[in-house]
Amino acid sequence: MFSKTPNGTNPRTGVWGGTSLAVLLTAWYTTASFVVVAVATGSLYFVLANNLRQISEQALMDELDVCRALVRERGGDSHALHEEVEIDSAVRRYQKFYVRVLDPNGVALSTTPGMNRDLSSSRIMEEWSRHRGIFWIDSPSGETYRAIVAAVPRDPAGKEVWTVQAAVDLTQEQIILGQQRIWVWTVLTAALIFCPAVGFVIARRGTRPLREVAETARHIGSSTLNERIHAEGYPVEVRVLATAFNAMLERLEESFARLSRFSADIAHELRTPVNNIRGETEVALARARTPEEYIEVLGSCLEESVRLSELVESLLFLARSESPGDHLKRTPEHLGRLLTDLCDYYEATAAEMGVTLAASADPDIVAEVDRALLQRALGNLVSNALAHCSAGSGIWLSAQRDDGRIRFEIRDTGSGISVDALPRVFDRFYRADRARSRDSGGAGLGLAIVKQIVVLHGGDVQIASEPGRGTTVSVVLPGA
Amino acid sequence: MKLLIVEDEVKTANFLKRGLSEAGFLVSVAADGAEGKLLIETGAFDLIVLDIMLPVVDGWHILTWLRSIGLQTPVLILTARDEVADRVRGLELGADDYLVKPFAFSELLARVRTILRRPPVREATTLRVADLEIDVAGHKATRAGQRLDLTAREFTLLSLLARRAGEVLTRTLIAESVWAINFDGDTNVVDVNVRRLRGKVDDPFPRKLLRTVRGVGYVLENPERN
Repeated sequence: MFSKTPNGTNPRTGVWGGTSLAVLLTAWYTTASFVVVAVATGSLYFVLANNLRQISEQALMDELDVCRALVRERGGDSHALHEEVEIDSAVRRYQKFYVRVLDPNGVALSTTPGMNRDLSSSRIMEEWSRHRGIFWIDSPSGETYRAIVAAVPRDPAGKEVWTVQAAVDLTQEQIILGQQRIWVWTVLTAALIFCPAVGFVIARRGTRPLREVAETARHIGSSTLNERIHAEGYPVEVRVLATAFNAMLERLEESFARLSRFSADIAHELRTPVNNIRGETEVALARARTPEEYIEVLGSCLEESVRLSELVESLLFLARSESPGDHLKRTPEHLGRLLTDLCDYYEATAAEMGVTLAASADPDIVAEVDRALLQRALGNLVSNALAHCSAGSGIWLSAQRDDGRIRFEIRDTGSGISVDALPRVFDRFYRADRARSRDSGGAGLGLAIVKQIVVLHGGDVQIASEPGRGTTVSVVLPGA
Repeated sequence: MKLLIVEDEVKTANFLKRGLSEAGFLVSVAADGAEGKLLIETGAFDLIVLDIMLPVVDGWHILTWLRSIGLQTPVLILTARDEVADRVRGLELGADDYLVKPFAFSELLARVRTILRRPPVREATTLRVADLEIDVAGHKATRAGQRLDLTAREFTLLSLLARRAGEVLTRTLIAESVWAINFDGDTNVVDVNVRRLRGKVDDPFPRKLLRTVRGVGYVLENPERN
């Protein structure tokens, strides 16, 4: 939603790029809840089916055990067998139960009534030979049975082996399970309709604050940058977004204000010398003058032109250094010597003002820097310090290695800078002392240029000051 | 010495012509590239001051053409564009120097003289301006026979002014030559140093040699010769 600037990190236009957040949330919610419903109903169904089968199989095994016992222990007591097979099994009402006992020749000795109609001995044997164990078998009339066949030795020696066929009618159970399946599918279908609907409503409600924030943002233009998003009562996530958004607006507003101040300042700084040249020339030409007067006017015009040239040069430097690309001509420089040279340059001025000027540096501290630019930056700082110093104060320059980086310090015991002015001293055209004339204060671009040069070197500049006690400017450049 | 100025901006051409003529050069002016080529073909010049942004045929073209026909006339390029790439291009095409507008006329004059002076003249060991005498090798300066007590920097500054006596030196050039400081930042530092030098060289004597040229810089000269 808020992708960074072109040269920032790429906006996330992955798989979900372009899809509505509400739709996404709905999709996820639907998937999640549908899976939960499906797993719940499905597992219930399978547990039920499994239990039913186990119960019927248990009954089948029990019956088999009874018959086995009758055959083996009662020696095929035909009366007992008859009672068990033909009467007990037949009286089970709710579940048809069939048992057939065959002698070694395959002749049925006892059969539950009705079994011959539904399940012939030969069919059972045929199915059994195909599946073994407990198997499914259908009757001609369409009922479903679970069946088992077991060989039962009649005497302990196992010479005479009878066969017991047992089958239980599970048609009823299958009908119940069938109904259960229909219910499962109904629930799943309902979930498939209900979940997206509910999900979409929830997602819409959830993203409403986002849409409201977007709506507010849409109304904010360059002239209404003072507007803010009111996020009270919104969920935390949206409040975080709104706060970040408001902070961005704040920065934008500040940049806009800076920019318009900057344009106004440029106009003012350009206008003043142009006006002086124009006015002085006009007045001079209005009537005949002595050569001395002409010289005076021309000299003044030249001074103004020089001032204009310098201003244009400074502005161009600032503008150009902001465009991307490496503008530095880096060469290895001995920083101690750089500071000594600077001191040397300003020595006479400092001496005349009664200001002590000294430099110190770690021995053999060398760095890859743009000599001319760094000299200009440090020079501007010294010159600025001098402007704030009076007789008796001092200015100390130092260059030190600091944790893999290089730290320059320009410390003075001059008049210092007021707390209000301190954050803005690196702004273009900002002069801490508004009353200072251009003659002593320049155009107010000196520190802006310092900052730009340091930034070009990948470093950082900090200023600390105490009115009446002095100022310390630290320039930290990446290591040597 | 014959100079050709190829410049379409009339005012610029005028002040260049006047300034260079007064400095003792014979100056011709071409108002566009085509006229420039014509003049170069017909007359032998010792130096061409060439503007880059010209109508009809631009400065790059003239420069390329000039070198392609085998003329080695020194060329000083003038331009309002000071992109580093342009500067490099100019020098690669065979220009001898490069000056960005706006420039100080004295700067242009100094560069023209430097180009024409090549190969360098023998470095004088003793410089003389009126009754001021500088022994460069011995690091001694005397005026009217009196030894001047100068610091090392003051001596360097005085030598520079004396070596180019009669030439107006800009503050930028002085800062560059004496302190190897390459920025225009705080040129009143030069004023302070010149003032101190003046205190030792001129103040004790009735005849003043070190003159301030307002808005431009400083010149060391014998006032009685003008």
